[in-house]
Amino acid sequence: MFQMPVFPSVDAVKDALAAQKYIATDEIATAIFLAEKLGKPVLTEGPAGVGKTELSKAWAAATRRELVRMQCYEGLDESKALYEWEYAKQMLYTQLLRDKLADLLSDAQTLAEAADRLAAEEDVFFSERFLLPRPLLRAINNDCPTVLLIDEIDRADAEFEAFLLEVLSDFQVSIPELGTIVAKQQPTVFLTSNNTRELSEALKRRCLYIYIDYPNTEEELRIVQIKVPELAPRLARQAVEAVQALRQLDLKKNPSVSETLDWARALVTLNARSLDAETLENTLTVLLKYESDVARARRALNLGGNGHGRPHR
Amino acid sequence: MEDRIAKFIAALRVAGVRVSIAESQDAWQAITHTGIADRNLFRLGLRSTLIKDATSFETFEELFPLYFSAGAPPLQNLQAELSPEQQQMLRDALQQLQSDLRQLLQWLLSGHGPTPEELEDLANQAGINQATSPYQAQRYARRMRQLLGWEQLQELLEMLWEILAKQGMDPQTIEQLKAKVAENQESLEQQLGEFAGQKIRDNLIEEYQKRQPLHDLMQRPFSSLSQAEMDALRDQVRRLAAHLRSRAALRQKRGKKGKLDAKTTIRASLRYGGVPFELHLKQRRLKPKLIAILDVSTSMRPVAEFFLRLLYELQDQVQKTRSFAFIDHLEDVTPDMQSLRIDEAVHVVLTRLPPGYYSTDLGYCLRQFEADYMDTVDRRTTVILLGDGRNNFNDPAIDTFTRISRRARRLIWLNPEYPAQWGTGDSDMLQYAPLCTEVHQVRNLAQLTEAIDRMLY
Repeated sequence: MFQMPVFPSVDAVKDALAAQKYIATDEIATAIFLAEKLGKPVLTEGPAGVGKTELSKAWAAATRRELVRMQCYEGLDESKALYEWEYAKQMLYTQLLRDKLADLLSDAQTLAEAADRLAAEEDVFFSERFLLPRPLLRAINNDCPTVLLIDEIDRADAEFEAFLLEVLSDFQVSIPELGTIVAKQQPTVFLTSNNTRELSEALKRRCLYIYIDYPNTEEELRIVQIKVPELAPRLARQAVEAVQALRQLDLKKNPSVSETLDWARALVTLNARSLDAETLENTLTVLLKYESDVARARRALNLGGNGHGRPHR
Repeated sequence: MEDRIAKFIAALRVAGVRVSIAESQDAWQAITHTGIADRNLFRLGLRSTLIKDATSFETFEELFPLYFSAGAPPLQNLQAELSPEQQQMLRDALQQLQSDLRQLLQWLLSGHGPTPEELEDLANQAGINQATSPYQAQRYARRMRQLLGWEQLQELLEMLWEILAKQGMDPQTIEQLKAKVAENQESLEQQLGEFAGQKIRDNLIEEYQKRQPLHDLMQRPFSSLSQAEMDALRDQVRRLAAHLRSRAALRQKRGKKGKLDAKTTIRASLRYGGVPFELHLKQRRLKPKLIAILDVSTSMRPVAEFFLRLLYELQDQVQKTRSFAFIDHLEDVTPDMQSLRIDEAVHVVLTRLPPGYYSTDLGYCLRQFEADYMDTVDRRTTVILLGDGRNNFNDPAIDTFTRISRRARRLIWLNPEYPAQWGTGDSDMLQYAPLCTEVHQVRNLAQLTEAIDRMLY
């Protein structure tokens, strides 16, 4: 039987995440500790690319559980989140079993009798054999406990949120043809949101809440050092300081932690020794994804723009 | 402790944080796991269960230290351990010390600290009623000590010990007394600090009750908003827009329930051996094309601003937008809206016609629009007119308005005035209104949001 590691304290949670190269603040560790103790979902909010998704991956790895991920998007509905009948397979089976069905029905005297006999066999076609489990059902119906990640819930429609509430409060789903499926093991649920829309009160009420913001210089430096150890310490500090300075500018899109890491990797690949103007000029596009942002950053970092980008007042 | 947590939750609610019963229950459960020994852990446990919105963190952090700080120890009675003779000596000594600090000495020596009423008086004298920041607690506590004459206390105590020594009290007892008075002094200091904190906490709660919740702001007419309130609303625009966007997107999706799309259905049926299992329907709804004609005269400016902000945020829900600003003549502001960032764009559009004395002439502007831009209006276009319909007794150009109305898919008028005011004075609204597809009153942000939601159909 699968044995989940036991976490007696908040510090144990922190250490376990650190072992997965995830640096958790007290806030994050406390919320996860409580989530495991109280059996509640964790809702993480914050700007894009600060490690909200990474957190659940790290936690799944730390607890040696499978991560079931459900990416939300506009128009996501039950059939894509929960389960779907596999029509094609059902069709194929019906075609292949045609002879067998003919045998079964051949000596039926009346149409009604034939229909009854067919009805008696319909369980064959509505069994788990033809059920295509989607992430939610997979997480619930798993023999081993899982970590369920519901990513970017703010992108899904409000109706889907309501449906999710039902699943998250009882951890059971009902499939009309099969009956109710109750979770064998209650998964640990993580929800992430980029805060593009207000989530419903009801959903928030059921969750523990963490807000993950951009890390400060020291924290970000530690992240870079853990994730990209090849980068020379002095250069790492320079790079992190540059990123922190960029976040102070009024940019369309701030560089995220994941972009800092990409940039750090780029610097390693380019064998950069120091953060001189040329290196910056060549790699700035790794950090900034809008032309106007790049132009603005150039001016702020005194690189002297070359006329690209629209000038701002 | 239970009492304090319950009070804390009540204070959060008063401060405008929504805390449900279920959440407070979670908080209790969380505390059984985090314990209360580690203050930071305790705080984080409470926060992750009670606060579900990053904007409320500030309130939480402000209130937390007021409710959960170590309590001050009670004062101890020094005289209990003294023999009757020694007690008499102390009384005699006190008699000799004619000073205004008798009250303070009495508290320190008897172990009976100040009563709540006395503390209340003292705090009021220190002027604590104006304090609303938790960081000021120590400052007011200091002022309360000054009022009690704390600075002269040391001197007085020295005199007391001298008198007692003269009276023949043994030095050991005096030393003991000294130590205990020092302890009591510290306790009293803490009590004062705590009381100041508590008073400020009460003030703070009152202050919060007075603060206008955002919801109310949305209901308040634009014309009555202060600068700070406008700023608060501006921050909300993005969120409102996101809300509108998801509604509009949902409508787009549901709007598919139209005619059967035979081509796509047949293609999809190939998966199932030619059986049309999945029906595909034609997308009926198309994103609207908008033409916005905005009155940017001074009285209309707040409405126009929020309209522009919302429109800017919703550009992806609209196929094409053209914007015009007018007072006495019409200006095409589409390029500004497209190329500038939101704050600049709004500023430029609103000041395109520099402030000054103008006489609004909608009729002339409509004719100008017909002459120069009529080709932009087609049967898929929604024309929005934002204005009060007050035309300075100029020609209302009803014939032009009729032609625009016929040509456009819809013509929507957004007017900040009450319907009862239409047609009074120089308002030509009653002539325009029957020609519009829809007329909405937009006095506040809530109404404006609703109108824009309808506009995106």
